[in-house]
Amino acid sequence: MTTTTGTETTTADVSDVPGTAAVRLTGIGKTFGSGTDAVTALQNVDLAVGQGEFVCLLGASGCGKSTLLNLVAGLDEPTAGTLTRPAGSPSFMFQESALLPWLTAGRNVELPLQLSGLSRSARRERAAELLSLVRLDGLADKRPHELSGGMRQRVALARALAAATGPDGSGGGVLLMDEPFAALDAITRDALQGELLRVWRATGTTIVFVTHDVREAVRLAQRVVLLSSRPGTVVGEWTVGDDRDHLHDEITVRLRQVIASHAA
Amino acid sequence: MQPETTPRPTVPTSPELDDAAAELAGLDALDTPTVKRTPSWRRFVATGLPPIVAFLLFVGVWQLIWAAAIQPEFKVPSPSSVWDSFAGVLTDGQVLSILWTSISRAFVGFLMALVIAVPLGLLVARVRVVRAAIGPLLSGLQSLPSVAWVPAAVLWFGLTDSTIYFVVLAGSIPSIANGLVSGIDQIPPIFPRVGKVIGASGLATARHILLPAALPGFLAGCKQGWAFSWRSLMAAEIIAAGPLLGLGLGAFLKQGSDLNDMPTVIAAIFLILIVGIGIELLVFRPIERRVLRVRGLAAGV
Repeated sequence: MTTTTGTETTTADVSDVPGTAAVRLTGIGKTFGSGTDAVTALQNVDLAVGQGEFVCLLGASGCGKSTLLNLVAGLDEPTAGTLTRPAGSPSFMFQESALLPWLTAGRNVELPLQLSGLSRSARRERAAELLSLVRLDGLADKRPHELSGGMRQRVALARALAAATGPDGSGGGVLLMDEPFAALDAITRDALQGELLRVWRATGTTIVFVTHDVREAVRLAQRVVLLSSRPGTVVGEWTVGDDRDHLHDEITVRLRQVIASHAA
Repeated sequence: MQPETTPRPTVPTSPELDDAAAELAGLDALDTPTVKRTPSWRRFVATGLPPIVAFLLFVGVWQLIWAAAIQPEFKVPSPSSVWDSFAGVLTDGQVLSILWTSISRAFVGFLMALVIAVPLGLLVARVRVVRAAIGPLLSGLQSLPSVAWVPAAVLWFGLTDSTIYFVVLAGSIPSIANGLVSGIDQIPPIFPRVGKVIGASGLATARHILLPAALPGFLAGCKQGWAFSWRSLMAAEIIAAGPLLGLGLGAFLKQGSDLNDMPTVIAAIFLILIVGIGIELLVFRPIERRVLRVRGLAAGV
Protein backbone atom coordinates (compact mmCIF):
# COMPACT_ATOMS: atom_id res chain seq x y z
CA MET A 1 0.00 0.00 0.00
CA THR A 2 1.32 3.37 -0.97
CA THR A 3 2.13 5.89 1.68
CA THR A 4 1.09 9.43 0.99
CA THR A 5 2.28 12.59 2.59
CA GLY A 6 0.48 15.71 3.70
CA THR A 7 -1.06 16.94 6.86
CA GLU A 8 -4.57 15.67 6.35
CA THR A 9 -3.73 12.37 4.74
CA THR A 10 -3.10 9.12 6.46
CA THR A 11 -2.06 5.80 5.19
CA ALA A 12 -5.18 3.78 5.49
CA ASP A 13 -4.83 0.12 6.08
CA VAL A 14 -7.33 -2.65 5.99
CA SER A 15 -6.82 -3.09 9.70
CA ASP A 16 -7.73 0.57 10.30
CA VAL A 17 -11.34 -0.23 9.73
CA PRO A 18 -12.91 -1.78 12.80
CA GLY A 19 -14.34 -5.26 12.74
CA THR A 20 -17.68 -3.94 11.60
CA ALA A 21 -16.53 -3.51 8.01
CA ALA A 22 -19.54 -3.58 5.70
CA VAL A 23 -17.44 -4.76 2.79
CA ARG A 24 -14.00 -6.36 2.97
CA LEU A 25 -11.86 -7.36 0.01
CA THR A 26 -8.65 -9.28 0.60
CA GLY A 27 -6.26 -10.01 -2.24
CA ILE A 28 -9.03 -9.76 -4.78
CA GLY A 29 -8.09 -10.51 -8.39
CA LYS A 30 -10.19 -10.77 -11.50
CA THR A 31 -9.00 -12.17 -14.81
CA PHE A 32 -11.20 -12.34 -17.86
CA GLY A 33 -10.56 -15.13 -20.35
CA SER A 34 -7.73 -17.59 -20.14
CA GLY A 35 -4.43 -18.46 -21.77
CA THR A 36 -2.80 -15.80 -23.94
CA ASP A 37 -6.05 -13.86 -24.33
CA ALA A 38 -6.44 -13.43 -20.58
CA VAL A 39 -6.94 -9.88 -19.40
CA THR A 40 -6.29 -9.11 -15.78
CA ALA A 41 -8.68 -6.39 -14.69
CA LEU A 42 -7.92 -6.43 -10.98
CA GLN A 43 -4.90 -7.67 -9.08
CA ASN A 44 -4.43 -8.07 -5.37
CA VAL A 45 -6.93 -5.47 -4.27
CA ASP A 46 -7.23 -4.96 -0.53
CA LEU A 47 -10.00 -2.73 0.61
CA ALA A 48 -12.28 -2.48 3.59
CA VAL A 49 -15.25 -0.19 3.87
CA GLY A 50 -16.64 0.49 7.31
CA GLN A 51 -20.28 0.48 8.27
CA GLY A 52 -21.80 3.83 7.24
CA GLU A 53 -18.62 4.99 5.52
CA PHE A 54 -18.56 6.96 2.25
CA VAL A 55 -15.65 5.78 0.06
CA CYS A 56 -14.81 7.03 -3.42
CA LEU A 57 -12.91 4.80 -5.83
CA LEU A 58 -10.97 6.99 -8.22
CA GLY A 59 -9.11 6.02 -11.34
CA ALA A 60 -8.56 6.55 -15.04
CA SER A 61 -10.10 4.38 -17.74
CA GLY A 62 -9.29 0.71 -17.50
CA CYS A 63 -8.64 0.70 -13.77
CA GLY A 64 -11.33 -1.90 -13.24
CA LYS A 65 -13.55 0.38 -11.13
CA SER A 66 -16.70 -1.03 -12.62
CA THR A 67 -15.38 -4.59 -12.42
CA LEU A 68 -14.69 -4.03 -8.74
CA LEU A 69 -18.23 -2.76 -8.12
CA ASN A 70 -19.70 -5.71 -10.03
CA LEU A 71 -17.74 -8.06 -7.77
CA VAL A 72 -18.97 -6.36 -4.63
CA ALA A 73 -22.53 -6.35 -6.00
CA GLY A 74 -22.33 -10.07 -6.69
CA LEU A 75 -22.94 -9.56 -10.41
CA ASP A 76 -19.62 -11.27 -11.05
CA GLU A 77 -17.27 -13.58 -9.17
CA PRO A 78 -13.60 -12.84 -8.36
CA THR A 79 -10.93 -15.23 -9.65
CA ALA A 80 -8.71 -14.72 -6.60
CA GLY A 81 -8.96 -13.53 -3.02
CA THR A 82 -11.82 -13.38 -0.58
CA LEU A 83 -14.72 -11.00 -0.49
CA THR A 84 -16.97 -10.40 2.48
CA ARG A 85 -20.17 -8.46 2.10
CA PRO A 86 -23.28 -8.24 4.21
CA ALA A 87 -26.11 -10.68 3.82
CA GLY A 88 -28.46 -9.71 1.05
CA SER A 89 -27.15 -8.12 -2.07
CA PRO A 90 -25.89 -4.55 -1.99
CA SER A 91 -27.84 -2.21 -4.20
CA PHE A 92 -26.48 -0.56 -7.28
CA MET A 93 -26.87 2.75 -9.02
CA PHE A 94 -25.74 3.09 -12.62
CA GLN A 95 -24.59 5.98 -14.78
CA GLU A 96 -28.00 6.00 -16.44
CA SER A 97 -31.00 5.97 -14.16
CA ALA A 98 -32.12 2.62 -15.65
CA LEU A 99 -35.66 3.14 -14.42
CA LEU A 100 -38.14 0.66 -15.87
CA PRO A 101 -40.03 2.81 -18.39
CA TRP A 102 -43.28 0.87 -18.09
CA LEU A 103 -43.61 1.64 -14.36
CA THR A 104 -44.34 4.94 -12.64
CA ALA A 105 -41.67 6.52 -10.45
CA GLY A 106 -43.44 5.17 -7.37
CA ARG A 107 -43.73 1.63 -8.76
CA ASN A 108 -40.05 1.70 -9.69
CA VAL A 109 -39.19 2.41 -6.05
CA GLU A 110 -41.71 -0.19 -4.88
CA LEU A 111 -40.42 -3.03 -7.04
CA PRO A 112 -37.41 -4.02 -4.88
CA LEU A 113 -39.70 -3.90 -1.82
CA GLN A 114 -42.25 -6.06 -3.61
CA LEU A 115 -39.54 -8.56 -4.55
CA SER A 116 -38.46 -8.75 -0.92
CA GLY A 117 -42.03 -9.70 -0.03
CA LEU A 118 -43.36 -6.50 1.53
CA SER A 119 -47.13 -6.05 1.61
CA ARG A 120 -48.74 -3.65 -0.83
CA SER A 121 -49.64 -0.94 1.68
CA ALA A 122 -46.29 -1.15 3.48
CA ARG A 123 -44.28 -0.83 0.32
CA ARG A 124 -46.41 2.03 -0.94
CA GLU A 125 -45.81 3.88 2.30
CA ARG A 126 -42.08 3.15 2.26
CA ALA A 127 -41.79 4.25 -1.40
CA ALA A 128 -43.54 7.53 -0.61
CA GLU A 129 -41.11 8.05 2.28
CA LEU A 130 -38.10 7.43 0.06
CA LEU A 131 -39.39 9.70 -2.70
CA SER A 132 -39.91 12.36 -0.10
CA LEU A 133 -36.35 11.82 1.10
CA VAL A 134 -35.02 12.65 -2.36
CA ARG A 135 -37.42 15.60 -2.54
CA LEU A 136 -39.80 14.14 -5.09
CA ASP A 137 -42.95 14.32 -2.98
CA GLY A 138 -46.12 13.84 -4.97
CA LEU A 139 -44.37 12.71 -8.15
CA ALA A 140 -44.94 8.99 -7.59
CA ASP A 141 -47.41 8.79 -10.47
CA LYS A 142 -45.07 10.32 -13.04
CA ARG A 143 -43.55 8.10 -15.69
CA PRO A 144 -39.75 8.20 -16.08
CA HIS A 145 -39.95 10.00 -19.43
CA GLU A 146 -41.93 12.79 -17.80
CA LEU A 147 -39.04 13.56 -15.44
CA SER A 148 -35.77 15.42 -16.01
CA GLY A 149 -32.44 13.61 -15.94
CA GLY A 150 -31.70 14.81 -12.41
CA MET A 151 -35.12 13.77 -11.15
CA ARG A 152 -34.78 10.34 -12.76
CA GLN A 153 -31.42 9.87 -11.06
CA ARG A 154 -33.06 10.75 -7.72
CA VAL A 155 -35.80 8.19 -8.34
CA ALA A 156 -32.99 5.71 -9.06
CA LEU A 157 -31.39 6.74 -5.76
CA ALA A 158 -34.68 6.15 -3.95
CA ARG A 159 -34.99 2.75 -5.62
CA ALA A 160 -31.42 1.86 -4.68
CA LEU A 161 -32.12 2.90 -1.09
CA ALA A 162 -35.25 0.75 -1.11
CA ALA A 163 -33.12 -2.20 -2.19
CA ALA A 164 -30.25 -1.40 0.20
CA THR A 165 -32.11 -0.77 3.41
CA GLY A 166 -34.25 -3.38 5.05
CA PRO A 167 -37.99 -3.53 4.44
CA ASP A 168 -38.58 -1.53 7.60
CA GLY A 169 -35.97 1.04 6.65
CA SER A 170 -33.57 -0.17 9.34
CA GLY A 171 -30.02 -1.28 8.70
CA GLY A 172 -27.80 1.01 6.70
CA GLY A 173 -27.23 -1.31 3.79
CA VAL A 174 -24.55 -0.90 1.14
CA LEU A 175 -25.05 1.35 -1.85
CA LEU A 176 -22.72 0.94 -4.83
CA MET A 177 -22.66 3.83 -7.26
CA ASP A 178 -21.01 3.60 -10.67
CA GLU A 179 -20.42 7.19 -11.85
CA PRO A 180 -24.08 7.99 -11.18
CA PHE A 181 -23.80 11.69 -12.03
CA ALA A 182 -21.43 11.47 -15.01
CA ALA A 183 -24.19 11.88 -17.59
CA LEU A 184 -25.74 14.96 -15.96
CA ASP A 185 -25.05 18.61 -16.72
CA ALA A 186 -22.68 20.44 -14.35
CA ILE A 187 -25.36 22.40 -12.48
CA THR A 188 -27.54 19.35 -11.85
CA ARG A 189 -24.50 17.28 -10.93
CA ASP A 190 -23.49 19.86 -8.34
CA ALA A 191 -27.00 19.91 -6.84
CA LEU A 192 -27.23 16.11 -6.76
CA GLN A 193 -23.86 15.76 -5.05
CA GLY A 194 -25.25 17.93 -2.26
CA GLU A 195 -28.41 15.84 -2.20
CA LEU A 196 -26.47 12.60 -2.01
CA LEU A 197 -24.50 13.86 0.99
CA ARG A 198 -27.72 14.92 2.72
CA VAL A 199 -29.36 11.54 2.03
CA TRP A 200 -26.24 9.68 3.17
CA ARG A 201 -26.20 11.59 6.47
CA ALA A 202 -29.92 11.00 6.91
CA THR A 203 -29.83 7.25 6.26
CA GLY A 204 -26.42 6.07 7.48
CA THR A 205 -25.99 4.01 4.33
CA THR A 206 -22.55 2.68 3.43
CA ILE A 207 -21.59 4.11 0.05
CA VAL A 208 -18.95 2.98 -2.42
CA PHE A 209 -18.86 5.58 -5.15
CA VAL A 210 -16.87 5.16 -8.36
CA THR A 211 -15.78 8.26 -10.25
CA HIS A 212 -13.06 9.59 -12.54
CA ASP A 213 -13.55 13.12 -11.26
CA VAL A 214 -11.10 14.09 -8.50
CA ARG A 215 -13.19 17.09 -7.43
CA GLU A 216 -16.29 14.95 -7.06
CA ALA A 217 -14.37 12.35 -5.06
CA VAL A 218 -12.90 14.93 -2.69
CA ARG A 219 -16.23 16.68 -2.22
CA LEU A 220 -18.22 13.55 -1.43
CA ALA A 221 -16.00 11.00 0.23
CA GLN A 222 -14.65 10.50 3.70
CA ARG A 223 -11.94 8.41 2.12
CA VAL A 224 -10.62 8.42 -1.46
CA VAL A 225 -9.01 5.29 -2.90
CA LEU A 226 -6.90 5.67 -6.04
CA LEU A 227 -6.67 2.71 -8.40
CA SER A 228 -4.03 2.15 -11.07
CA SER A 229 -4.97 0.81 -14.47
CA ARG A 230 -4.47 -2.53 -16.23
CA PRO A 231 -4.47 -4.30 -13.91
CA GLY A 232 -6.32 -2.26 -11.34
CA THR A 233 -4.88 -2.20 -7.89
CA VAL A 234 -4.93 0.22 -4.98
CA VAL A 235 -2.06 2.74 -5.27
CA GLY A 236 -3.15 5.36 -2.77
CA GLU A 237 -5.64 6.19 -0.06
CA TRP A 238 -6.47 9.54 1.49
CA THR A 239 -8.75 10.42 4.35
CA VAL A 240 -10.54 13.61 3.44
CA GLY A 241 -10.01 16.39 5.96
CA ASP A 242 -10.85 20.07 5.92
CA ASP A 243 -8.35 21.32 3.33
CA ARG A 244 -10.09 19.83 0.30
CA ASP A 245 -8.36 22.08 -2.25
CA HIS A 246 -4.94 20.93 -1.17
CA LEU A 247 -6.05 17.30 -1.19
CA HIS A 248 -7.58 17.75 -4.64
CA ASP A 249 -4.25 18.99 -6.01
CA GLU A 250 -2.31 16.25 -4.30
CA ILE A 251 -4.56 13.49 -5.62
CA THR A 252 -4.52 15.03 -9.11
CA VAL A 253 -0.71 14.97 -9.15
CA ARG A 254 -0.70 11.33 -8.07
CA LEU A 255 -3.36 10.42 -10.62
CA ARG A 256 -1.28 12.04 -13.38
CA GLN A 257 1.76 10.04 -12.32
CA VAL A 258 -0.28 6.84 -12.44
CA ILE A 259 -1.62 7.68 -15.89
CA ALA A 260 1.81 8.73 -17.20
CA SER A 261 3.29 5.43 -16.05
CA HIS A 262 1.13 3.73 -18.68
CA ALA A 263 2.79 5.57 -21.59
CA ALA A 264 4.82 2.86 -23.27
CA MET B 1 -33.60 31.06 -9.86
CA GLN B 2 -36.74 31.46 -7.78
CA PRO B 3 -39.29 28.74 -8.33
CA GLU B 4 -42.87 29.86 -7.93
CA THR B 5 -44.72 26.92 -9.35
CA THR B 6 -43.30 23.96 -7.45
CA PRO B 7 -44.70 23.51 -3.96
CA ARG B 8 -42.31 22.21 -1.34
CA PRO B 9 -44.01 20.44 1.52
CA THR B 10 -40.79 19.58 3.35
CA VAL B 11 -40.09 21.72 6.36
CA PRO B 12 -36.67 23.36 6.05
CA THR B 13 -34.44 22.81 9.02
CA SER B 14 -31.84 25.43 8.23
CA PRO B 15 -31.46 28.31 5.80
CA GLU B 16 -28.77 26.39 3.95
CA LEU B 17 -31.03 23.37 3.53
CA ASP B 18 -33.83 25.62 2.43
CA ASP B 19 -31.57 27.09 -0.27
CA ALA B 20 -30.59 23.66 -1.49
CA ALA B 21 -34.21 22.56 -1.63
CA ALA B 22 -35.20 25.71 -3.49
CA GLU B 23 -32.36 25.32 -5.96
CA LEU B 24 -33.28 21.72 -6.60
CA ALA B 25 -36.94 22.61 -7.02
CA GLY B 26 -35.92 25.31 -9.48
CA LEU B 27 -33.80 22.86 -11.45
CA ASP B 28 -36.68 20.40 -11.52
CA ALA B 29 -39.06 23.05 -12.77
CA LEU B 30 -36.62 24.12 -15.50
CA ASP B 31 -35.59 20.67 -16.63
CA THR B 32 -38.88 18.78 -16.58
CA PRO B 33 -39.74 17.85 -20.14
CA THR B 34 -42.83 19.69 -21.32
CA VAL B 35 -45.47 17.57 -22.97
CA LYS B 36 -47.21 19.32 -25.82
CA ARG B 37 -50.75 18.18 -26.48
CA THR B 38 -52.31 18.94 -29.82
CA PRO B 39 -56.08 19.52 -29.83
CA SER B 40 -58.10 16.64 -31.28
CA TRP B 41 -59.44 18.60 -34.26
CA ARG B 42 -55.89 19.45 -35.34
CA ARG B 43 -54.89 15.82 -34.99
CA PHE B 44 -57.84 14.94 -37.19
CA VAL B 45 -56.85 17.51 -39.81
CA ALA B 46 -53.28 16.21 -39.71
CA THR B 47 -53.94 12.46 -39.77
CA GLY B 48 -57.59 11.81 -40.61
CA LEU B 49 -58.13 14.19 -43.49
CA PRO B 50 -55.34 13.19 -45.91
CA PRO B 51 -56.50 9.56 -46.30
CA ILE B 52 -60.10 10.70 -46.88
CA VAL B 53 -58.98 13.17 -49.55
CA ALA B 54 -56.77 10.50 -51.12
CA PHE B 55 -59.70 8.07 -51.22
CA LEU B 56 -62.01 10.63 -52.84
CA LEU B 57 -59.34 11.40 -55.44
CA PHE B 58 -58.98 7.68 -56.13
CA VAL B 59 -62.73 7.31 -56.67
CA GLY B 60 -62.67 10.39 -58.93
CA VAL B 61 -59.91 8.97 -61.12
CA TRP B 62 -61.71 5.63 -61.23
CA GLN B 63 -64.91 7.39 -62.36
CA LEU B 64 -62.94 9.20 -65.10
CA ILE B 65 -61.37 5.98 -66.37
CA TRP B 66 -64.76 4.28 -66.39
CA ALA B 67 -66.35 7.26 -68.20
CA ALA B 68 -63.58 7.21 -70.82
CA ALA B 69 -64.64 3.62 -71.56
CA ILE B 70 -61.09 2.45 -72.25
CA GLN B 71 -61.93 -0.98 -70.89
CA PRO B 72 -65.19 -2.93 -71.18
CA GLU B 73 -67.66 -2.69 -68.33
CA PHE B 74 -66.98 -6.22 -67.02
CA LYS B 75 -63.35 -5.28 -66.43
CA VAL B 76 -63.77 -1.77 -65.05
CA PRO B 77 -67.23 -1.31 -63.53
CA SER B 78 -68.39 2.11 -62.44
CA PRO B 79 -67.91 3.16 -58.82
CA SER B 80 -71.68 3.39 -58.43
CA SER B 81 -72.30 -0.19 -59.56
CA VAL B 82 -69.67 -1.40 -57.09
CA TRP B 83 -71.37 0.68 -54.42
CA ASP B 84 -74.73 -0.90 -55.36
CA SER B 85 -73.30 -4.38 -55.02
CA PHE B 86 -71.60 -3.35 -51.78
CA ALA B 87 -74.80 -1.84 -50.42
CA GLY B 88 -76.67 -4.94 -51.63
CA VAL B 89 -74.67 -7.33 -49.40
CA LEU B 90 -74.78 -4.79 -46.61
CA THR B 91 -78.56 -4.47 -46.64
CA ASP B 92 -79.70 -8.03 -47.24
CA GLY B 93 -77.91 -9.18 -44.10
CA GLN B 94 -75.70 -11.59 -46.01
CA VAL B 95 -72.67 -9.48 -45.12
CA LEU B 96 -72.98 -10.34 -41.44
CA SER B 97 -72.72 -14.08 -41.96
CA ILE B 98 -69.91 -13.64 -44.50
CA LEU B 99 -67.93 -11.36 -42.19
CA TRP B 100 -68.62 -13.55 -39.17
CA THR B 101 -67.42 -16.67 -40.96
CA SER B 102 -64.14 -15.06 -41.97
CA ILE B 103 -63.41 -12.91 -38.92
CA SER B 104 -64.18 -15.71 -36.46
CA ARG B 105 -61.88 -18.02 -38.41
CA ALA B 106 -59.12 -15.42 -38.47
CA PHE B 107 -59.47 -14.76 -34.74
CA VAL B 108 -59.61 -18.39 -33.69
CA GLY B 109 -56.62 -19.01 -35.96
CA PHE B 110 -54.79 -16.02 -34.52
CA LEU B 111 -55.44 -17.13 -30.93
CA MET B 112 -54.25 -20.66 -31.68
CA ALA B 113 -51.18 -19.16 -33.30
CA LEU B 114 -50.56 -17.08 -30.15
CA VAL B 115 -50.79 -20.15 -27.94
CA ILE B 116 -48.25 -21.98 -30.08
CA ALA B 117 -46.00 -19.06 -30.99
CA VAL B 118 -45.39 -17.61 -27.50
CA PRO B 119 -43.73 -20.70 -25.97
CA LEU B 120 -41.95 -21.28 -29.28
CA GLY B 121 -40.63 -17.71 -29.33
CA LEU B 122 -39.53 -17.93 -25.68
CA LEU B 123 -37.67 -21.16 -26.41
CA VAL B 124 -35.93 -19.74 -29.46
CA ALA B 125 -35.03 -16.53 -27.64
CA ARG B 126 -33.71 -18.10 -24.44
CA VAL B 127 -32.36 -21.55 -25.38
CA ARG B 128 -29.24 -21.38 -27.48
CA VAL B 129 -29.54 -24.83 -29.04
CA VAL B 130 -33.14 -24.26 -30.06
CA ARG B 131 -32.21 -20.92 -31.60
CA ALA B 132 -29.37 -22.47 -33.58
CA ALA B 133 -31.62 -25.30 -34.70
CA ILE B 134 -34.83 -23.57 -35.77
CA GLY B 135 -34.13 -19.83 -35.55
CA PRO B 136 -33.14 -19.44 -39.22
CA LEU B 137 -36.02 -21.67 -40.31
CA LEU B 138 -38.47 -19.58 -38.33
CA SER B 139 -37.37 -16.32 -39.92
CA GLY B 140 -37.16 -18.02 -43.32
CA LEU B 141 -40.76 -19.22 -43.02
CA GLN B 142 -41.83 -15.60 -42.73
CA SER B 143 -40.94 -15.04 -46.35
CA LEU B 144 -42.71 -18.19 -47.52
CA PRO B 145 -46.12 -17.12 -48.84
CA SER B 146 -48.60 -19.15 -46.83
CA VAL B 147 -50.69 -19.68 -49.97
CA ALA B 148 -47.99 -22.18 -50.91
CA TRP B 149 -49.34 -24.40 -48.11
CA VAL B 150 -52.86 -24.52 -49.54
CA PRO B 151 -52.39 -27.36 -52.04
CA ALA B 152 -50.61 -29.49 -49.46
CA ALA B 153 -53.22 -28.74 -46.83
CA VAL B 154 -56.03 -29.65 -49.24
CA LEU B 155 -54.37 -33.01 -49.88
CA TRP B 156 -53.90 -33.61 -46.15
CA PHE B 157 -57.18 -32.39 -44.74
CA GLY B 158 -59.52 -32.15 -47.74
CA LEU B 159 -61.82 -29.18 -48.16
CA THR B 160 -62.51 -28.74 -44.44
CA ASP B 161 -61.97 -26.12 -41.77
CA SER B 162 -58.74 -27.91 -40.82
CA THR B 163 -57.23 -26.85 -44.14
CA ILE B 164 -58.16 -23.25 -43.48
CA TYR B 165 -56.75 -23.27 -39.95
CA PHE B 166 -53.58 -25.01 -41.01
CA VAL B 167 -52.86 -22.32 -43.59
CA VAL B 168 -53.67 -19.53 -41.13
CA LEU B 169 -51.36 -21.02 -38.50
CA ALA B 170 -48.56 -21.57 -41.01
CA GLY B 171 -48.86 -17.90 -41.94
CA SER B 172 -49.04 -16.27 -38.52
CA ILE B 173 -46.97 -18.42 -36.15
CA PRO B 174 -43.57 -17.41 -37.61
CA SER B 175 -44.45 -13.69 -37.41
CA ILE B 176 -45.61 -13.80 -33.81
CA ALA B 177 -42.72 -15.99 -32.66
CA ASN B 178 -40.18 -13.83 -34.48
CA GLY B 179 -41.72 -10.70 -32.98
CA LEU B 180 -41.30 -12.12 -29.50
CA VAL B 181 -37.71 -13.21 -30.24
CA SER B 182 -36.70 -9.78 -31.52
CA GLY B 183 -38.59 -8.15 -28.65
CA ILE B 184 -36.50 -10.14 -26.19
CA ASP B 185 -33.29 -9.63 -28.16
CA GLN B 186 -33.78 -5.88 -28.10
CA ILE B 187 -34.15 -5.60 -24.33
CA PRO B 188 -31.40 -3.19 -23.26
CA PRO B 189 -28.89 -5.25 -21.20
CA ILE B 190 -29.22 -2.76 -18.35
CA PHE B 191 -32.73 -4.03 -17.48
CA PRO B 192 -31.75 -7.60 -16.60
CA ARG B 193 -28.89 -6.14 -14.53
CA VAL B 194 -31.32 -3.84 -12.75
CA GLY B 195 -33.52 -6.85 -12.07
CA LYS B 196 -30.57 -8.64 -10.53
CA VAL B 197 -29.48 -5.79 -8.26
CA ILE B 198 -32.99 -5.15 -6.97
CA GLY B 199 -33.34 -8.81 -6.06
CA ALA B 200 -35.25 -10.43 -8.93
CA SER B 201 -34.39 -13.93 -10.08
CA GLY B 202 -35.86 -16.69 -12.18
CA LEU B 203 -39.59 -16.29 -12.71
CA ALA B 204 -39.67 -12.89 -11.02
CA THR B 205 -37.18 -11.62 -13.60
CA ALA B 206 -39.35 -12.91 -16.44
CA ARG B 207 -42.52 -11.44 -14.99
CA HIS B 208 -41.26 -8.07 -13.79
CA ILE B 209 -38.40 -7.37 -16.20
CA LEU B 210 -38.15 -9.49 -19.37
CA LEU B 211 -41.78 -9.74 -20.46
CA PRO B 212 -42.70 -6.08 -19.92
CA ALA B 213 -39.44 -5.01 -21.58
CA ALA B 214 -40.15 -7.21 -24.61
CA LEU B 215 -43.77 -6.07 -24.91
CA PRO B 216 -43.37 -3.45 -27.69
CA GLY B 217 -41.55 -5.90 -29.98
CA PHE B 218 -44.02 -8.63 -29.14
CA LEU B 219 -46.97 -6.36 -29.97
CA ALA B 220 -45.40 -5.49 -33.32
CA GLY B 221 -45.06 -9.22 -33.95
CA CYS B 222 -48.72 -9.79 -33.01
CA LYS B 223 -49.81 -7.03 -35.37
CA GLN B 224 -47.88 -8.58 -38.20
CA GLY B 225 -49.12 -12.01 -37.16
CA TRP B 226 -52.71 -10.78 -37.44
CA ALA B 227 -52.03 -9.35 -40.91
CA PHE B 228 -50.49 -12.65 -41.99
CA SER B 229 -53.32 -14.65 -40.49
CA TRP B 230 -55.90 -12.52 -42.33
CA ARG B 231 -53.99 -12.74 -45.61
CA SER B 232 -53.51 -16.49 -45.34
CA LEU B 233 -57.16 -16.93 -44.52
CA MET B 234 -58.23 -15.07 -47.64
CA ALA B 235 -55.83 -17.08 -49.80
CA ALA B 236 -57.15 -20.31 -48.31
CA GLU B 237 -60.79 -19.30 -48.71
CA ILE B 238 -60.30 -18.29 -52.34
CA ILE B 239 -58.48 -21.44 -53.34
CA ALA B 240 -60.17 -24.00 -51.13
CA ALA B 241 -63.85 -23.32 -51.68
CA GLY B 242 -66.24 -26.17 -51.10
CA PRO B 243 -69.65 -27.11 -49.75
CA LEU B 244 -68.22 -28.15 -46.37
CA LEU B 245 -66.83 -24.66 -45.85
CA GLY B 246 -69.13 -21.82 -44.92
CA LEU B 247 -69.26 -18.80 -47.20
CA GLY B 248 -66.49 -16.48 -46.06
CA LEU B 249 -65.19 -13.32 -47.66
CA GLY B 250 -62.72 -15.19 -49.85
CA ALA B 251 -65.36 -17.61 -51.09
CA PHE B 252 -67.67 -14.64 -51.70
CA LEU B 253 -64.99 -13.06 -53.87
CA LYS B 254 -64.43 -16.34 -55.72
CA GLN B 255 -68.16 -16.60 -56.34
CA GLY B 256 -68.24 -13.13 -57.88
CA SER B 257 -65.30 -14.00 -60.07
CA ASP B 258 -66.89 -17.29 -61.20
CA LEU B 259 -70.03 -15.39 -62.21
CA ASN B 260 -68.04 -12.70 -64.03
CA ASP B 261 -69.58 -10.25 -61.59
CA MET B 262 -66.89 -7.59 -61.36
CA PRO B 263 -68.79 -5.23 -58.98
CA THR B 264 -69.09 -8.10 -56.45
CA VAL B 265 -65.39 -8.91 -56.82
CA ILE B 266 -64.38 -5.32 -56.15
CA ALA B 267 -66.88 -5.00 -53.30
CA ALA B 268 -65.37 -8.16 -51.76
CA ILE B 269 -61.86 -6.80 -52.12
CA PHE B 270 -62.96 -3.61 -50.36
CA LEU B 271 -64.56 -5.62 -47.56
CA ILE B 272 -61.36 -7.64 -47.07
CA LEU B 273 -59.36 -4.43 -46.94
CA ILE B 274 -61.81 -2.76 -44.56
CA VAL B 275 -61.73 -5.68 -42.12
CA GLY B 276 -57.92 -5.83 -42.23
CA ILE B 277 -57.54 -2.10 -41.61
CA GLY B 278 -60.46 -2.02 -39.15
CA ILE B 279 -59.03 -4.69 -36.84
CA GLU B 280 -55.65 -3.02 -36.94
CA LEU B 281 -57.13 0.39 -36.12
CA LEU B 282 -59.67 -0.78 -33.53
CA VAL B 283 -57.70 -3.50 -31.76
CA PHE B 284 -53.96 -3.28 -32.28
CA ARG B 285 -53.40 0.44 -32.72
CA PRO B 286 -54.98 1.47 -29.36
CA ILE B 287 -53.06 -1.21 -27.44
CA GLU B 288 -49.78 -0.37 -29.12
CA ARG B 289 -50.31 3.33 -28.65
CA ARG B 290 -51.01 2.93 -24.98
CA VAL B 291 -47.95 0.76 -24.44
CA LEU B 292 -45.71 3.19 -26.29
CA ARG B 293 -47.15 6.33 -24.73
CA VAL B 294 -46.72 5.00 -21.22
CA ARG B 295 -43.04 4.51 -22.00
CA GLY B 296 -42.64 7.89 -23.63
CA LEU B 297 -41.74 6.24 -26.93
CA ALA B 298 -44.36 7.97 -29.06
CA ALA B 299 -45.08 11.29 -27.39
CA GLY B 300 -48.06 13.14 -28.75
CA VAL B 301 -49.37 10.46 -31.10
